[in-house]
Amino acid sequence: MAFFATFDLREPINRAVETLVERHGDRLHALNDLLLQGLLLPLERVLRQAPPWLVLLAVLLLAWRATGRWRVAATLTVACYLIGCFGLWDALMQTLALVLVATALAVLLGLPLGIAIAHSRRLRAVVLPVLDVMQTLPTFVYLIPAVMLFGLGKVPAILATVVYAICPLVRLTDLGLRQVDPEVQEAARSFGTTRWQLLLGVQLPLAWPSILAGVNQTVMMALAMVVVASMIGARGLGEEVLAGIQTLDVGRGLQAGLAIVLLAVVIDRVTQGFGRGRRPDGEPGARP
Amino acid sequence: MFRPIVLPLLGLALTAAVAAAPASAASTASPWCQSGKPVKVAGLNWESGELLTELLKTVLEQGYGCRVELVPSTTITIEHALAQNDIQVVAEEWVGRSEIWNKAAAAGKVKGVGRVIVGASEGWYVPEYVVKGDAARKIRPVAPQLASVRDLPSYKQLFRDSEEPAKGRFLNCPSGWSCEGVNSQKLKAYGLTDSYVNFRTGSGAALDAAIASAYQRGQPVLFYYWAPTALMGKYRFVRLAEPAYNEACFATLTDRNHPKPCGSAAPEALIQTGVSRAFHDADPVLMGFLTRFNVPLPLLNAALAEMVERKDTPAEQARRFMTAHPEVWRDWVPQDVAERLGARR
Repeated sequence: MAFFATFDLREPINRAVETLVERHGDRLHALNDLLLQGLLLPLERVLRQAPPWLVLLAVLLLAWRATGRWRVAATLTVACYLIGCFGLWDALMQTLALVLVATALAVLLGLPLGIAIAHSRRLRAVVLPVLDVMQTLPTFVYLIPAVMLFGLGKVPAILATVVYAICPLVRLTDLGLRQVDPEVQEAARSFGTTRWQLLLGVQLPLAWPSILAGVNQTVMMALAMVVVASMIGARGLGEEVLAGIQTLDVGRGLQAGLAIVLLAVVIDRVTQGFGRGRRPDGEPGARP
Repeated sequence: MFRPIVLPLLGLALTAAVAAAPASAASTASPWCQSGKPVKVAGLNWESGELLTELLKTVLEQGYGCRVELVPSTTITIEHALAQNDIQVVAEEWVGRSEIWNKAAAAGKVKGVGRVIVGASEGWYVPEYVVKGDAARKIRPVAPQLASVRDLPSYKQLFRDSEEPAKGRFLNCPSGWSCEGVNSQKLKAYGLTDSYVNFRTGSGAALDAAIASAYQRGQPVLFYYWAPTALMGKYRFVRLAEPAYNEACFATLTDRNHPKPCGSAAPEALIQTGVSRAFHDADPVLMGFLTRFNVPLPLLNAALAEMVERKDTPAEQARRFMTAHPEVWRDWVPQDVAERLGARR
């Protein structure tokens, strides 16, 4: 009678999650503690305990190194200083630690994956649709099971951020490697390079601008996840935004939102600066 | 601003006054709905709110022939919208718990009617197996002496916080909820700030997930919670004793900047149906229904647990409730409306 056949995923998924929590929940919670104590908390402690002027100086030098222009570097440093003026320095450092760890993990996983799918057509046919899913699946849908498995707070937040933010890096690494001029590769091979030498000495350097654009996009997407991450108890700027929204304190929410934007601009300019600086011909987009 | 103690009394007086009026007074046609205007009802996002909203919607639509629109949003936005008459009804309003409601009520823009839930509770809980153990699940009692918030400092290792392992973790409400401020003050009042991390859970879903995960794994967890909720119906929790309710002390808890709060349990919550002033004044017929709109707490807890157990939507659960408990909803409405509702079952 019904046009649609009944096909219900809810029960099996619920049962699977429940079993997973009962059987492996304790072990995964232990892994959560390990990641926290071993990686995230030390970094966060360093950032939060460092005197703000030192962090600002580091931003200044990094921005100068990346862009090569003092005025841009100074503007970016002032932007960070402004976040401190909002009274959000501590929250900023917590968010920065979260974004840095998430980005590091994304690069650690995404770069090899991007290289792998650039070299295997079959693997790419599998991985690309998976990336589509990772980018479009509403975050909260897998965030709550992640909380049940790993516990509240930063670790599930970072995992969710990696899932979401790794996609552009994989895609752009793949794209960059496949766009390396075949004649250049031919020439390198004719000199007898091994596959590893070809990858490290020719393909990766030539794909570098594209890869860094991927890293840039990854950081931006990680920042976009900050507010969502705060919905499972990760502290930082996201919590400020959330608290602002939930109490209809529009000013507080917007101010914290603005701080996230400022942080995004700073990181964006710095990573883009490095991408540009490393272009083989020194000029953005000038390659044929 | 209303003091929480005054409101329950007010509410009782109101309920008593209306209950005394004859049930089938005057006409049973709703002026608001007859004029063709839709009744906009807040789409609440917690379980009891969802179910009560569906029940209310069912009665308005099938009993009074109203056009009902659900407007989903967050509590605070809803209260604002209610004050502006952008929506007309909030099925479950915890009166006196939010600044926005208090201001709007003082200005006469919103009104609480009836007592939709009586006997709701809230406080600090641990799973029952933490205190008594659970032989069936082979869980031994890890804190048999734990009975009161005063005992908590000696149990901080049991509720260890993974980010600050030297302290215990107390799962508070998400930042921005009014209970978050009260609990933060309670941590101060009970002298727990040195031994416990005030962990704000970010969202109700995350709080639930953390509790459910701990319960399924048989692990100890300390959290703020409230009834009526599905988790309360599904799991067995023990509420930790707190100093008895004291108006002066509770005022130091609701003021999140008070430097020296003193401990007090929460007063019994006054939970009413919130309506906008315009709707209240325009429709005495529907007000007659709303003042009698109430689901007894044990029934409500059971219905919520069943809803979560069967993973049904609130609408499905409301339909089942209407079929199973005509004795409850027949009390809400005059005879002819009850007939119409009965005809649809």
